[in-house]
Amino acid sequence: MRIKIFRWLIALVFIFLMLGLADLQLRQSKKLRQLSNKNCLRLIPQEGCRGKILDRNGEIIVDNYLSYDAMVLADSPLKASQALLELARILNEDPDKLKRAFREGFIAPFMPVAVAKNIDIRQAIALEELKGGMGNVFIQPHPLRKYPYARMTSHLIGYVNEIDHWRLTKLADYGYKTKDIMGFGGVEEKYDYFLRQEEGALSVEVDHRGRLVRVIGFKPSKDGKELSLTVDIKAQKIAEDALGQKSGCVILMDPNNGEIIALSSHPDFNPSDFVKKRSLDSFSDLFSRKDSPLTDRAITGMYPPGSVFKLVVASAALETKKVDLDTGFFCSGSVNVGKRKFACWSKHGQQDLMEAIKHSCNVFFYRTGLALGPDLISEYALRFSFGKTTGIDLPYEESGLVPSPIWRKVTRFKNWYDGDTANFAIGQGDLLVTPLQVTRMMAVFANQGYLVKPYILRSVSGKDISGYQKKISRIPLKENTVQYIRKALKETVSSPGGTAHILSDPQIPVSVAGKTGTAQVSGSLAHGWFAGFFPFDNPRYVICVFLENGGSGYWACGVAKEIIENMSLKGLI
Amino acid sequence: MSAFTRILLIAFLIACIGILSIYSSTFQVENARWHSLYLRQLLWVLLGLVFFILAANFNYRRLWDITYFLYFLALFLLVLVFALGIIRLGAQRWLKLAWFNFQPSEIVKLIVIIFLARYFSSKSDYDLSLDVHKYGLARSFILPFSYVAIPVWLIMDQPDLGSATIILFIFLGMVYLSGAKLRYIFSFLLSGLLLLPVFWHFLRDYQRDRLLVFLNPNVDPLGAGYTVIQSKIAIGSGGLFGKGWLGGTQSQLHFLPESHTDFIFATFSEEWGFCGVAVLFVLYYLLIREGMLAAESKDDSFARLLASGISMMFCIQVLINIAMNMGFAPVVGLPLPLMSYGGSSMIVTFISLGILANIARQR
Repeated sequence: MRIKIFRWLIALVFIFLMLGLADLQLRQSKKLRQLSNKNCLRLIPQEGCRGKILDRNGEIIVDNYLSYDAMVLADSPLKASQALLELARILNEDPDKLKRAFREGFIAPFMPVAVAKNIDIRQAIALEELKGGMGNVFIQPHPLRKYPYARMTSHLIGYVNEIDHWRLTKLADYGYKTKDIMGFGGVEEKYDYFLRQEEGALSVEVDHRGRLVRVIGFKPSKDGKELSLTVDIKAQKIAEDALGQKSGCVILMDPNNGEIIALSSHPDFNPSDFVKKRSLDSFSDLFSRKDSPLTDRAITGMYPPGSVFKLVVASAALETKKVDLDTGFFCSGSVNVGKRKFACWSKHGQQDLMEAIKHSCNVFFYRTGLALGPDLISEYALRFSFGKTTGIDLPYEESGLVPSPIWRKVTRFKNWYDGDTANFAIGQGDLLVTPLQVTRMMAVFANQGYLVKPYILRSVSGKDISGYQKKISRIPLKENTVQYIRKALKETVSSPGGTAHILSDPQIPVSVAGKTGTAQVSGSLAHGWFAGFFPFDNPRYVICVFLENGGSGYWACGVAKEIIENMSLKGLI
Repeated sequence: MSAFTRILLIAFLIACIGILSIYSSTFQVENARWHSLYLRQLLWVLLGLVFFILAANFNYRRLWDITYFLYFLALFLLVLVFALGIIRLGAQRWLKLAWFNFQPSEIVKLIVIIFLARYFSSKSDYDLSLDVHKYGLARSFILPFSYVAIPVWLIMDQPDLGSATIILFIFLGMVYLSGAKLRYIFSFLLSGLLLLPVFWHFLRDYQRDRLLVFLNPNVDPLGAGYTVIQSKIAIGSGGLFGKGWLGGTQSQLHFLPESHTDFIFATFSEEWGFCGVAVLFVLYYLLIREGMLAAESKDDSFARLLASGISMMFCIQVLINIAMNMGFAPVVGLPLPLMSYGGSSMIVTFISLGILANIARQR
């Protein structure tokens, strides 16, 4: 009897265990299978090369080179510490430093640790020869960024570094991960999507100690795409040399399509400093220096344009017929607006529009400006696309600021006075522009009436994309107006009294047209501007030189002269 | 087919499954000694078969005569473990014999069954029927418990909580099957329950850890709870059809400790899945049923108690081991009969099954 009960009891326990088994193997099997895979599957990333960057003639601006890291296998701590001592001897390094690097770099026993990064090729060869029986030490080649032109292309290209928190939160959805290398500033950041290598991976099975058992799968890495820029590295070099140590920027652009030929900004930085982390001290002050070497003045810097803006006022006056070709104002060196006296930089006597542009006469433009009124000046400034970004394919472009009475009322709670109009008319006051916007304005006169969108990327892996990049629109100005100002710009250079007369020099075989500008800065030296184009008849280049606190437009003219001279020497014109 | 052939066939089948699993669990090890582990197990199985045939041809009634000799032999072996036993994994459970380590607690389980079978089947001179149910507390419970308590205490001190618990379970089962009054058993269980806090103080630290971990494996996921967690992952990741023979990652890559001994069930379930385990369950159940049927078919009370005791011992070990693999029972050092690697357990199991076969054969 009791045996029967016992048999039932056993059957019951068997059924109970069967149910428990069904729970584990059927209900929870998916979850537990994942846990089991997580136990034994590991991914080892495989690195590819970041894309190269070429100039318009196929010259390599940014390249990659192989750096060598000394790696130590981590599966046996005892062997690893012996290897570290030996390594320290061969590389002539402090053993404690290597040990620290090993501790910090340790991830798992199956992942080799890079204990000495970027050792040079001689050390790498020495290590391969001297390591003898140390099977757990090897050299890992590892592609890094190389900049043959170093500082010359710093703002154009930007630099690469480990992704920061801010960018990571924005880009995590696009497959970016912590510790990814990505571009900061310039082309490297703007086109990181093309340039970045696609990481491959080796999927391996490991045992309970994390030692490799076998390779399960392999996905090769993909190199980044090669980019060709519109930049001519020879012109870039000329621009850099002419700018020298002066703070400011130089832009050369093709007025017919908006291709940036050269873009140089100073103070600059050496992008290789970011590659070799060993020289940490050399770049830590880049972020804190007062003269902000990481700022690209050509697109991020906003400055008052000074007299260069007179071209906008002149266009507005001609279009609205407030001034015609015969209108004249007398410059006695100053003019009273309200109770304040507004000075000219010289005494010009009787001036018509052509002469006023040529001599950059302030009095003439004070009067013209007052005749136009601030709203019309604003409107024409906006027609020349001031106050908007140009849409260049570089990051962190600023839009500048075009003031108006309403803007002032709304944002500053202040009234607009005639004195403000007078200042506005000569490109001072609240008005702020970027050098690139000035370049684009000058391109309108060079190409006889078209606004172009500047761009810098010409092709991606050999595929020409300039068709997508080019955006040209007719500016809403009359043909005559453009032609008249074009002529005035020519006169500014060619006639002996013109402010940019130093540019008509026997050294310069082409005829140049342009306008200088000197923008007053309170409490500091004035900014110097020169914007122009050449050759006059069939312009191929627009040039804009901006010298931050450079004294006056005269010095900017000097830089432009040196650039044009050298370009003709190199046969670029 | 005779009971002898059926028992032999099922036991041999299970042992073969065990060898396959041991082969698989030591498959990825670099060490050559481990690779040959399945060959050693094969040797144990063959040796076990020899013992099975010997035991099947040894009249079980003669066990009655040598009961006391066996009992003292058991005590002697246990004392010998204390004096000469070798220490492994922090416990002193093994005797070194010539070329293998012998675990006396395995044979003690069988001897306790034989001893209790004889004790409860002793007849009065006047009546041929069993009269345990007429016995008072002293004769039906306290006296046999004292006999059993001595080896249990020796085993507890090795320490080997698993074997000691099994013997206590066997004792309770035998008392129940012998027809003793139920109230004695219940009051024993109740007092045991009440004394639990006292026992707690006598447990070793690692034993306490294991019991705590049984209640919640996540209290110590890298220490004592690790095995249970990994074992559950191994069993569950097998799914319906398993990962295939030699395809189990948990056991082969050593995430699962003791994958060829106490946790061989998890190794097997990972590779053969729910379907494989269902077949294994059927085999084990058939074998246990065979023992129970042999017991029921007998009039001889010694044979009845002996056969049901043996199948009960077998059954308890199987169930507790599987429950422990699935996380339903605390982790105690307890092999899965016929499958786990180990000579002592294999040979004792085959001897017990041989005795069963002998009982089934005698008419």
